[in-house]
Amino acid sequence: MQKHRTHFRILGGLLAMGLAYPAMAHDPIFGLGPHVLYKGGVEVALELHTEKAGSERENEATLELTYGLTGDWSFGVDMPYRNKRQSGINRSGMGDLSLFTKYRFWRKDSLGVQESAAVLLKVKTDTGRSGGTPALNPGATDSIVGLAWGYESRKWYRWASIRYRYNGKNAQGLKRGNVVKLDFVGGIRPTPTGYLKPDTVWMLELNGEYRQQSKQYGTRLANTGGTEWFISPGIFWTKRNFAIKAGVQIPVSSSLNGSQARSDYRAKITFEYHY
Amino acid sequence: MKKMILAFMLLGGSLAQADTIYTMRVDGLACPYCAYGVEKKLKKITGVKKIDVDLDKGIVTAVTDDSVKFTDEQMTKLFKDSGFTFRSMKKAVK
Repeated sequence: MQKHRTHFRILGGLLAMGLAYPAMAHDPIFGLGPHVLYKGGVEVALELHTEKAGSERENEATLELTYGLTGDWSFGVDMPYRNKRQSGINRSGMGDLSLFTKYRFWRKDSLGVQESAAVLLKVKTDTGRSGGTPALNPGATDSIVGLAWGYESRKWYRWASIRYRYNGKNAQGLKRGNVVKLDFVGGIRPTPTGYLKPDTVWMLELNGEYRQQSKQYGTRLANTGGTEWFISPGIFWTKRNFAIKAGVQIPVSSSLNGSQARSDYRAKITFEYHY
Repeated sequence: MKKMILAFMLLGGSLAQADTIYTMRVDGLACPYCAYGVEKKLKKITGVKKIDVDLDKGIVTAVTDDSVKFTDEQMTKLFKDSGFTFRSMKKAVK
């Protein structure tokens, strides 16, 4: 029984494992936005993420590089380093490397306003440190497809996005449940400032996550899957080509199957520079 | 005659150093961070001396030396590559 509980904890940790999404420009902090990078532009971002669910805690530092192939199409790579603490055991190592591309297929510009929509495709490769307890990486290749819409003006911001994550099966026959994420975000720039002046945008996100039950060799695992909703206040501060984004996800509703640790909080801060 | 030659030289000298100011109307400029791509692309053009962006009015101003000749086609592509929409351009000599 104790062995099973340990397995469930490992599984819960794997399921809770966040996956960084391209954190471009004025995109939401936890949700997905339609922003891409200008043609020939390079963006370097360092993202620090922490989350706690029951007795489990995970920290992640991700280096993200993005390149603007055209004014509407960007491509990038995520390189995470993870630390995880579970049942008193602490473990660190490289996370799975991810490749992503985002294409803005629609854009409507008017004076001081940009409305746009984009699709995202991301593949998280099975390249991180594997094995051991607690497991740092799921040992499988996952794919994410996302669709984002955004309205951006000098004063107000609005975003909506949906993402579907297809999780692969690992060598132990574990197929983690696929995930659907839904995000609604509003933002305000209290004081519109001029070019080259520091600029601040406050955001409030509503993030929903639905996870299917996982299966091991085809058998559904009772203590997996469910739905969680978060309210996430955040801030976006920029000066010329440097940005800091920070936010906290606070769980407001949780409906998880069986016995699972609910999320206590998730927090993220990103330092971004493009040139 | 000497005065005329000197006056001509001074006038010619000042004309040679005259700056051109391009004032461009651009749509979609909502945030300063995103507008950086415009600054980067314009500054890559040899002869561009100074850039200014007025986000509220949707105006991008470029001060160039007289060797620079912007065209509508060139600016349409430049702003598209930067993620914005070029609308029109006015040219003035400083």
